[in-house]
Amino acid sequence: MPVSVASATVQRLARHRALFVNFFRRELFARYLGSITGLAWAFVHPLALLAVYHFVFTTVFRAGPMNGKSFLLFVAVALWPWLAAQEALQRGTVSIAGYAGLIRKVAFPHELIVYASVAATLALQFVGYLVVLFVLALFGEPVHFEGLLLAVPLWLLLALAITGLALALAALQVFIKDVEHILLPVLMILMYLTPILYPLSLVPQGMRPWVAANPFGYLVDRLRDALLDGRLAVYWGDAIAVVVAIALFAGGRWIFLRLSPHFEDFV
Amino acid sequence: MISAPLLHLSGVGKDYAKLDTDAARVKLVLDLLRGRGVARAFRALDDVSFDLAAGESLGIIGENGAGKSTLLKIVAGVITPTRGSVDLRGRVGALLELGSGFHPEYSGLANIDLAAALLGLAPDEIAAKRDEIVAFADIGEHIHDPIKHYSSGMVVRLGFAVATTLRPDLLITDEVLAVGDESFQKKCIAWMENYLFGGGTLLLCSHSMYHVQKLCRAALWLKDGRMVRYGPAAEVAQAYLAYHEEKSAGAKQSIAARQASAEGFYAIQSLSLDPSGRIPAGGALMIAGEVYSPDDRAPVVLVGLVRADGTPIYGIATDMDGVAPVRIAAQRFAFSLSFPQLPLLPGKYIVRAHALDPEGVRLFDNVEQPFIVEGATRELGLVRIGHGWNGGAPR
Repeated sequence: MPVSVASATVQRLARHRALFVNFFRRELFARYLGSITGLAWAFVHPLALLAVYHFVFTTVFRAGPMNGKSFLLFVAVALWPWLAAQEALQRGTVSIAGYAGLIRKVAFPHELIVYASVAATLALQFVGYLVVLFVLALFGEPVHFEGLLLAVPLWLLLALAITGLALALAALQVFIKDVEHILLPVLMILMYLTPILYPLSLVPQGMRPWVAANPFGYLVDRLRDALLDGRLAVYWGDAIAVVVAIALFAGGRWIFLRLSPHFEDFV
Repeated sequence: MISAPLLHLSGVGKDYAKLDTDAARVKLVLDLLRGRGVARAFRALDDVSFDLAAGESLGIIGENGAGKSTLLKIVAGVITPTRGSVDLRGRVGALLELGSGFHPEYSGLANIDLAAALLGLAPDEIAAKRDEIVAFADIGEHIHDPIKHYSSGMVVRLGFAVATTLRPDLLITDEVLAVGDESFQKKCIAWMENYLFGGGTLLLCSHSMYHVQKLCRAALWLKDGRMVRYGPAAEVAQAYLAYHEEKSAGAKQSIAARQASAEGFYAIQSLSLDPSGRIPAGGALMIAGEVYSPDDRAPVVLVGLVRADGTPIYGIATDMDGVAPVRIAAQRFAFSLSFPQLPLLPGKYIVRAHALDPEGVRLFDNVEQPFIVEGATRELGLVRIGHGWNGGAPR
């Protein structure tokens, strides 16, 4: 039964692939590439951020090497996926409103909107991630590019989980407009609770399990394993991560599908 | 074997949540997540059932807010009904309101791609249809401009071109024919007649009884979300028109009476026809009524005959004939006008009565009563004019 439901869903979405492509392009072009400087901005933005972090952490704070790597590389590998997830969540949450006109007049699977929004943000951020890694390598940082073999599946896992969360938040946002305003401070707090700007090893022993339980902390850890140390071995924790990502997606989609038939009245 | 209808609605209803507080919104979300219905609801549509077989055409009529658009949206799949079921076997092309589904920033061409993608077409199918759509829309170089710079007529052209070129099994249109210039309207009507002739199925929502009767075999009259009447188009349209005329006549008269006393206007207070409603061609028609005069001086009454579309035919006022309405009570005057042999040809007409001040200068109101002249004739025009063929031989 679940298999047939899943296959029916896939068929329905496959029939609308042209629409997904259309929405994806709309998200990509309208938001990032529509303006004259858009394409350049997509690349300049991550590099400018990197330069600022370099200035703040290396020049001002004089942060020493972290786990034997330069602090800048240590942070960059983890910070980009976080920023990508944060932006994808924020844009995904408010994505439905931009399609209000369509929702009120035309029948189509509303979930495509969230998929297109999240996919566009993450795709662009992933390109920025590669640019940052490449530039860091140019400046002599020891980036293990073979680690991308693990990093790419990790990003896909992130995309799945973020899509699930964005589906739930986007559906709630249609009814309760406070969701987007609550989201920003929550994300801010979560960022500092995740070992992005510091390694888990600096966290006091007693609090370490709590910090380690953060799913995003797992992702950060694994990305550092792969890209900083070139360790590609897979372990049982990865299987749990896959299960968690699928559960987040399925749960978020369930909420979305429960609420989406009523969007027409509220968008 | 009886083939299943293309569209089958059974007991369809739609509730909209009434929300006044933020807490109610949160409760609504929780209720929806638990799969419950809406607690406090406004019934936009209730217990609507009908069948529409392939090749048939149904017109939905009713006042604003009767639930027509909600019904069309349910059939189009935009709204999920709260109650009842909708069975649809085929592809729907929907033209709901002006430029629905278009993105204002996109060019006409990009919007064609979007609209086709919304209908579930694959990219290669879209490419194959694009030229045909552009040709039907016939808006020239504007096809490359963003939609937001289009006139409303151009948007309708494009929307109609998209919806029709994709040849849906069921075409749904909502009052879109009212926009667009005369020649495009004719093109649309011609296309629809051709589409129906070719076996297409049409669900039309219109305030124009002319369009409904011309294009639809059956009609459904909705009032406050419920079905009032469902049957042959001409019958339902006439019942609806009759209801409307009574209602508007009542409304006009009461407004006139209220204004008359409040603002010191001369006003027609009643207008009746004898015989009322239908008269045979060449028969007698008597028009009578009462008029209010704030200063108790005899007002001037102007009576006109116009065609149903408003074309004036004949008008005559009391002062032109050197008569005055008869005083029947304080501030109340009566008038009566008869046409012994009304020369109007069969069709729909309206009697209009206006009250003017005693000097016959200022015109205050407009009260109307429709009537139908019945009869069978092949004569053309509005009125019969006395004539004879000089030296003509009998055929």
